[in-house]
Amino acid sequence: MLAATGLTAAMAGCVREVRNAVNRDGIDQLSLTITTLPADGDRESIQLSRAIRNALEAVGVDVSIAMRSHEEFLRETLINHEFDVYVGRYPTGTDPSYLYEALHSRYADEAGWQNPFGFTNLTFDQSLERQRDAGDGERRDAVAETLSAFAAEQPFVPICAPREYRLARTDRFDGWGDRHPATPLGYLGLEALDRENGSGNDDSRLRAVHTDARPSQNLNPLSAEYRNRGLFTGLLYDTLAVDAALLEDSGAESDGEDGEDGEDRENREDGEDGEDRENAAEEDEGDEGETGDENPDRETDANDADATGPDLRPWLADSWTLEDDVLTVRLREDCPFHDGRQVTADDVAFTYRFLADTTLGDDRVPTPSPRHRGQVAPLEAVEAAGNDREIAFRFRRSLEDASAAVAGALTVPILPEHVWRERSAAADVTGVRIAEGVTEALVVDNVPPIGSGPFAFADRTDREHVTLERNDDHFTLREGVDLPAPTASEMRVAIDPRSTSAVELVSDDDADVTTSTLESYVLDDVIEAADEADDLEVLESSPRSFYHLGFNARKAPFSNPRFRRTVARLIDKAWIVDEVFDGYARPIAAPLVDQEWVPDDLAWGGDGDGDPATPFLGQDGEVDVEAARAAFEAAGFRYDTNGRLRTRVSR
Amino acid sequence: MFTEMLLRVVVAVGCLLPLALVAFVGRERLASLRREWRQRLRESAPAVAVLAVVLVVNRLLRSSAPRISDEVGVHMTSTLYDLEGEFVFVFQSIETPALTAYFSVVYVYGYTFLLVFPILAYVALSDTVRLRRLLAAYALNYAIGLACYLVVIALGPRNVMPEAFAETMLYDSNPEYQHLTRQVNRYTNVFPSLHTSLSATVAIFAYRTRSTYQAWFPVAGVLAVSVAISTMYLGMHWATDVVAGIVLAAVSVVLSVSLVGRGWASTLRERVGLE
Repeated sequence: MLAATGLTAAMAGCVREVRNAVNRDGIDQLSLTITTLPADGDRESIQLSRAIRNALEAVGVDVSIAMRSHEEFLRETLINHEFDVYVGRYPTGTDPSYLYEALHSRYADEAGWQNPFGFTNLTFDQSLERQRDAGDGERRDAVAETLSAFAAEQPFVPICAPREYRLARTDRFDGWGDRHPATPLGYLGLEALDRENGSGNDDSRLRAVHTDARPSQNLNPLSAEYRNRGLFTGLLYDTLAVDAALLEDSGAESDGEDGEDGEDRENREDGEDGEDRENAAEEDEGDEGETGDENPDRETDANDADATGPDLRPWLADSWTLEDDVLTVRLREDCPFHDGRQVTADDVAFTYRFLADTTLGDDRVPTPSPRHRGQVAPLEAVEAAGNDREIAFRFRRSLEDASAAVAGALTVPILPEHVWRERSAAADVTGVRIAEGVTEALVVDNVPPIGSGPFAFADRTDREHVTLERNDDHFTLREGVDLPAPTASEMRVAIDPRSTSAVELVSDDDADVTTSTLESYVLDDVIEAADEADDLEVLESSPRSFYHLGFNARKAPFSNPRFRRTVARLIDKAWIVDEVFDGYARPIAAPLVDQEWVPDDLAWGGDGDGDPATPFLGQDGEVDVEAARAAFEAAGFRYDTNGRLRTRVSR
Repeated sequence: MFTEMLLRVVVAVGCLLPLALVAFVGRERLASLRREWRQRLRESAPAVAVLAVVLVVNRLLRSSAPRISDEVGVHMTSTLYDLEGEFVFVFQSIETPALTAYFSVVYVYGYTFLLVFPILAYVALSDTVRLRRLLAAYALNYAIGLACYLVVIALGPRNVMPEAFAETMLYDSNPEYQHLTRQVNRYTNVFPSLHTSLSATVAIFAYRTRSTYQAWFPVAGVLAVSVAISTMYLGMHWATDVVAGIVLAAVSVVLSVSLVGRGWASTLRERVGLE
């Protein structure tokens, strides 16, 4: 009896010990997948991914690379958030205001470029709000503070900003590079030249070649998977206003006419650090700034323009006035959509309601347009103000503080209500279960697109071409309107998946311009060839996107800033720029393509040598394994005897 | 661009074919062709029809294949990479401009010639069994290969390690070929290599008919080996794809030989009362 009790007691102890041991989850080797594009989609991304894999494997992480097509890649990262880490381009303008959307906790659960990282940090949220709300005087400090917090947290690792190069023929069109060729405005206002050897036919067709097939498959301005920066949908749809900087600033990094490289690379890196922001902006415009005042006849609107931010020019809007925090926008007269119906105030009001919730207030989950979520968020209400041409905008915050918000809000594509209203219904794809709240509007290919833009849709063939024709009713073609107008009678965009063959089409006079940027490995040859040829010009323009390593902070260990910081230190950005980009990019420590806003202590190479935020642990692309391991251990991670990094992983 | 490239291939192969026919087949057999071609084609009609159906299905599936792959496909690129690593770099180590030109020509022109010539050569034989087996083997290659493409989503070495193929990558050294091949191929279709399997099929048939066409077997053999190597040299395929291609060729030949017999077609013809 006694023995039995003793045995039971001993057993109980033993069982407790066993349970204690068994219920502890083992800590396994960290194994992660880098999601990226194959070389056919983005030659640099896959090379970056492999460099990062090699560095991580050297420090005991098991890495595999998953390559996806453009639309799959964006669907997995932006919409379904099914990734560990990814390497790709972040499409951004030059203003730091995008950071609010990109990293604020309130967007962590949303689809699109709003916080795809699932990064959440209350202190960081406060910095983001401050930099967004700050008036012009305090903004510089607020942005600097946000960037410092960013450098400490590394929600994603900014790697480098590639300069953009395109090849154009100068014998059929002139005026390339007056406006940034990554934007729709870059293809307006061109001068069609008579060609002496022309056949006498209508020869003002603009023949573009694009390396990404997606525009030939889908022209939906709301689609996060099929759009990068909306170049072609930007030609098809008008916005109420345009960024004045895009009208006047070519984005060209030099004032040279022909392809040159080299000298001006250093110039960019010096930046305009210490200068007052407004002065710097003025000077940025360079020569064109003098002649760039497009709208002398708009003097009457100058006061209003100041109130809503100095950076906007009316486009589809005729003018706007501000009264009691209500912005009243007046539309231009007689602007038809491509199907002949007039653009009315109701269409505009509908557009804003629709972009904010594509279900139009149905009882299902509200589903904003993922590409315009941040732009329409500051709007409280948008209503037609009693007649066909006036729309009243009410913002959530006082307008003096919201110039960036207004600029964002007035640059969304205006949609025709009679086409899009019925697309608020739930998407219906035969045989596939659709998630709650996915509307037709988000998944429709929108062919043919009906907008009011300078070009109308004409034809397309999947993976071969998309052809646009001039909208002869467009207001920019009218007397007295001093805005860049569509001069080409037709714009045929041929799809050709590689830079080499695209370049060949341009040099053989089968195309006039490459609308995609050229991959860096062909640039040496292209620049040399263009130098020798009379009728070829390399368009060099400022970066409009940057490469980055994105972490899925919803999962351990990517949720741990110490882990992210240590990974950031395994990436030799300067070496990557030389090896992968052949020097045609600028390594960055702050997540901005424009160095204007970057404080001295975060400027590349400003503080000692190289990366001021997360200096590389090693040399010339080779990771110093000992130092890197020590860094991981100092961050609280452990190694086993086989040198494998062990960590708890959430799946 | 596409039509121009197609024309170039058609013209080049069209010029080569008569020469090859005279050299390998001989005037005597070609002369017999004039008398009997109707009869021989009628006998081979079922095999021609099967091949035609497979090719049409292939064409029709082209637009919907990516969507089907999305549903049932498995991403295998990293598996292939883990399996063989940087083995294909072996061929990079012998890279010269002349070799690049040779393999590029073999990949496009040599391959087309290799596929078309034996059809004509076997039409010239009075016994149509070789022709019917060859056509059946082509159809099997395409059908099985197509099924693999739907299930296996994989990208070739050039898409994973673009910098390693900077000098030899077909579309960089000869950008114009891009216009031709992208009409035929998707970049996610690499496993198995159909270039290899169809070339190997031709080589196996050449071996089986070496008593009839003595000179053709060594030529077909060299061309087939060149095509297989070119797919790796140019960065299109992994070695695993090539091995799978050879296996597919062997399977297709064995199946076609056992399915298409001397007696089969004539039995069928008797049944439908053609004779």
